[in-house]
This record gives sequence, C-alpha cells and structure tokens, in this order.
Amino acid sequence: MRHLNALALLALTASPALADVGQVLDAQVLPGTAAFAEASTALATAAAADCRPAAVTDAWNAAFDAWLAIGHLRMGPQELAALTIAFWPDGRNSGRRTLARMIEGEDAMGTDASDFAQVSAAARGLYALETMLYDPDFASYEAGSYSCTLVQVMAQDLASQAAALDLAWREDFAPALRSAGSPDNAQFLSANEAERAIFTQLHGGVEFNADQRLGQPMGTPDRPRPTRAETWRAGRSQRNIELSMAAIQAMAQSLAGHSVEAVDSAFSAAAYFGAGIEDPAFQDVEDPQARFRLESWQGRIRAAGDALIVHIGEEMGIAPGFNSLDGD
Amino acid sequence: MTSRRTFLAGLMAVAAPKPSWADAGSPRWLACAREADGTYALFGIAEDGADTFRLPLPARGHAGAAHPTRPEAVAFARRPGAFALVLDCGSGALIRQLTPPEGMQFNGHGAFTEDGLTLYTVEQRASDSQGFLGIWDSEYRRLGQIETGGIGPHEVLRLPGDVFAVANGGIATDPTDRTKLNVPEMAPSLVYIQGDEVVERVALEPSLHFNSIRHLAHEDGVLAFAMQWEGEPSQVVPLLGLHRRGEAPILASAPAEEQALMQGYAGSCAFSDGEVGITSPRGNRLHRFDAQGTFLGATARADVCGLAPCPGGFLTTDGGGGVLQVTEGRARPLGLRSRSWDNHVVTL
Repeated sequence: MRHLNALALLALTASPALADVGQVLDAQVLPGTAAFAEASTALATAAAADCRPAAVTDAWNAAFDAWLAIGHLRMGPQELAALTIAFWPDGRNSGRRTLARMIEGEDAMGTDASDFAQVSAAARGLYALETMLYDPDFASYEAGSYSCTLVQVMAQDLASQAAALDLAWREDFAPALRSAGSPDNAQFLSANEAERAIFTQLHGGVEFNADQRLGQPMGTPDRPRPTRAETWRAGRSQRNIELSMAAIQAMAQSLAGHSVEAVDSAFSAAAYFGAGIEDPAFQDVEDPQARFRLESWQGRIRAAGDALIVHIGEEMGIAPGFNSLDGD
Repeated sequence: MTSRRTFLAGLMAVAAPKPSWADAGSPRWLACAREADGTYALFGIAEDGADTFRLPLPARGHAGAAHPTRPEAVAFARRPGAFALVLDCGSGALIRQLTPPEGMQFNGHGAFTEDGLTLYTVEQRASDSQGFLGIWDSEYRRLGQIETGGIGPHEVLRLPGDVFAVANGGIATDPTDRTKLNVPEMAPSLVYIQGDEVVERVALEPSLHFNSIRHLAHEDGVLAFAMQWEGEPSQVVPLLGLHRRGEAPILASAPAEEQALMQGYAGSCAFSDGEVGITSPRGNRLHRFDAQGTFLGATARADVCGLAPCPGGFLTTDGGGGVLQVTEGRARPLGLRSRSWDNHVVTL
C-alpha cells in the first residue's frame, strides 16, 4: 500500500491526470471494436459461402471471442448495441421462441438483413446464432432451407451492427471521451468523468462475470440451473469469463497508466481458480464438488472487482453513483 | 406580554419592504446536494446555472417546497424524514424546523397553496405507511392532515385551482429504514385532492401493480407521472404515464431496447413547452416525450436525476455535479460543481 501511494504521488506530480483514457481507447477499445467488426464480417462471409453449422461455427467462435474483448463496455453507442448484439441472459427463452416462430411460419423478415433489424433483440446477434448453430432443435437444417437463409441473414445483420458500432466509437464516442472537459462536451464535463465512465464499465464487467455468467447456472444451492449457463451448447461458458476477465484487466492497467500489483495478483488468482474448472460448459454444477469450484472462482472474481475499486477507483477519486443508489 | 405571534407581526412591520426571492439572488431553481467534504446543503440556482445561495443542511435532503412569494424554502429530509427545515433563502436564517406529529414521517416532498398561506407535507403513518398530507399554516403551525387514500405517498404537486395531485407509491416501508414490506401486494395510485377530500383516483391495470407511481409534473391539463418498477427486472415496462382528469391514463415508452436501458426506474419528471421528460440515474439517461406520449429521444448523462423546465428545454442535475441544459435532446453544460446533486430540482 505504501508503495502504491508513492507511485500515485509520483504520477500526481508528473501529470495532472492519474488515469489514461486515451491509452484505453488506443490500446484496447478501438482495436477491439475493429477486430469485432472484422470477425463479424468474416462470419457473414463464411455463412454466405456455406450456411451449415459445421462451416460456420469456427467463425462464430472467433466473433464471440472478439466481442468478449469489448463486451463489458455498456457505454456510448455500445449501450444500445449490446442489447441486439449480445442479448443475454434471456431468462424467458424469448430468442429461442422467436426463432422457432419465424422458422415455423417462414417469416419474410428472416430473409432480408435490413428487415431483420426489426426483429426483437433476443432473436438477433451472437446468442441467437448460437441457438441456430448448436441447439439440436435448430441446427440440423440443410443448405437452401429457410433456416439456412436465416443464418446468413443473422450473420449479415451482426456484421452490419459490428461495423456501425466500430464507426460510432471511432467517430463519435472515442472523441467525446478524449475531449472530456472541453466547453462543448456535454457528455463528459471533466477528465475525471470520462475516467469514471470507463472505470464503472470495468467494474460492472467483473460483477457481470460473477453475478450472471457464474450466478445464472449456479442458481441456488437447492436449485442449480445448468441450462442457464451462457453459451453452454457451444461449450464455451468458461472461456467467456476467462477472455472477459483478461480484457478487463488489460483495460484497467491502461486506465491506471501502470501495472498495479494488487490488481494483477487479484486477477491472477481469479484466473488460477478458473483454470481448475472441469466442465467448460458448467453442466456439472449439480455436483457439489463442481459447484464448490464455481463458487470459489466466483469469490475470486469478486475479489478482483474489489481490488479494482480499492487500488484504482479510489485512487482516481471515483465514488459510486449518488442518485442511482438512492432509490427514491 | 408579547405573544410570539404579535412579536413576529411586529418584526414583519419593521422589515419593510417585504422580502422577496430577489433577496436570495433571484434563483430560478432550488436543489439539495452533498458537498465534496460529505456535508449537505441547499442551493439556489440561477437561470445560467450559477449558484445564488448555499444553506447548510444537517443531513441529506431530498426535495423542497418553495414559497410562491416569500424567499422561503422548505427543505425535506430524505425519507423516512424526521424533519423539514424552513429556510430564509435571503438571510440564510432557519425560520422553523418542522417535525411531523408523533407516529408520522415526512416522505421527502411538499407543496404550498397558490397564495402561500398553507403548506402541505407528504407524510406516512410509521405503523402502516398509510398516506397523509400534513397541513401547516403560514407560520408553520400544524393545522391537521388529510388522507391521501393510499400507502407510501411520495410527491405532491399543486395544480391550478389548488387541486393537489399525490402519487401514492404503494410501497409500505419499515418505520426505521426503507425496507419494503408489501411488494407482492403493492397497489400504487394517483389521486387528486381538493379541499380535504380525494376527488379522483387513478390506478393502473393489475398487471402493472408493481409500477410504483412516485413523481409528478403538470402542464396544460395533463398530469405526468413517473414510475419505478418493483417487479421482475427483465420485464420492460412503461415508466411514464400521462393523465387528463376524467380520462384513462396513457402509458408512454421508448422503443423496447431503449426503454430497457432505463433499468425500470424513473427518478424525476418535468414538463417543458409541450415536452415531458423523465430521468433515470440507473440508466444514465433522460427520455423525452410529447404530451401525447410519443417518444422524442434519449440524452445520456451519468447519474442524472434532477429535472426541471427551463427556456428552450430542460435543466438537468446529476450526482457528478453537472448542471446541463438540454434543448431538443442536445445537452449543453452550464457548470460542473464539486458536489453531488440530489434527486430533485424545485422550480420557483
């Protein structure tokens, strides 16, 4: 702690800003949105060439990986886009039900990428594609079928969304974050507001990993819910958390402007516990041993979130929302 | 022997001319805030966003009631409130501390009659959260109370002709804190009170009974009410209602994905020139609608809650200290203070 304070003091005397928003944008966010756009285009290209799951899943997984590098940033253009790119959790299975209804009625909205943008959020994006590519009730379609066209349209829709997202970050939102505090910037009235906005997303991403990505399948001790695990059919529930935590850690380091030992060790501990998970789809959550491993991982992830608050957030003078927590 | 009353009357006679809001720097709005050092205060805000006065408060405030002519503000504590302070915004003097009668609690809002001779304070009975309007005379003496016909009332708003609208939030709370006791059975309502009786009562359809009606705004015969959803968080519901006397309420929503970003929570509402706005500090956004309930757009701002009409649009305040003017959805900063503005902005 003493070491950290010395570092902070040094940074304070060297530069007015402790946090480096520009570095987060340049090193992670903008390369991340570009990579996601590229991976989504590759997915659309692959599906257009051959719509069948065996030919599409590699590209879908690559797009999913790319999303996880930025998926925790629910801010700016990505606040709304995240709902139609990554609608999860879907507790009422509305994505699956909408897709079944569209296929059953061969809904014309499913055959045109611009019409498809009107479809409900749960039936669009990465998770709806997982249903089409991995769910046995959906994934046995043939080339030339309605479902085949639907998958091509869904992939095209995702590619369009990813390109629009990348553009919006590049042209509007990243400049707004960089110009925080300038007189005409009404989104971020000071540099600290931009830092706080990014920090909040990083911490929220860690909480999402613990509470949703792990919490959903864990359910309650009496009632674990394995089929609520994220992308369990694709067998990548564990990988999602690992990639998300790594991305958050990298952004935290950029934001702090230096490596923060306590944060790194908390994230390393979380990664170590994650590596001990046996079923990458968490389908063994009903087994008390397996549940214990998930609980331990969840605890370490929460501890990493606490480390972000103590060692980065508080040093930057970041406090939790005043009105959002008031509830009145 | 000089009674307190004649003493005060004498004081008034000496202190001519009568004090007005000009003595408090002619603020256009009032708002409570927490300062950077953790203390609390009530501020006057001028039309350009500048502070006109600062009066310390002993604890976190919520909203206030401004006297229509005298530069007096009643600052209400955050609920469950044990006090309200009547402040002279010109001199900074504490005129009175109001305490609710034994067994009653202030709920954070209040309103004066048009002539300024009577103050109504929103209260709930501690034992069962039953709602009341406390009645106080122009010297802030308790005169009595009126039932609001619901549980957990929150905001009261004076409408033309001294009709008072009350949002009965429907939520019974623990007398010592804010623990919600009756969410499964909650039954919010909107009531109009004239004289000492409820003259009209509006409730939403049963499927929306988890939607706590909490904040109010009025313009041209339309009462806007903002709601907070206590049901299943993944359910996306309207958070704004528009009501004309004698008619069924209209419920207003943004398109589904945008509506979902409000997080089921509207913290303030205001009318301005035919537009009605609601803020969500949880969703970090302002939503604007026309008076028919058509969605006009969203404006993002972190922890935004305070909302009031201003020329050309809305004034917003937020937990980060920002004071912004929003015109046709475009925000312009008026100032950034090192304080956290509390939920509401009171318009003078």
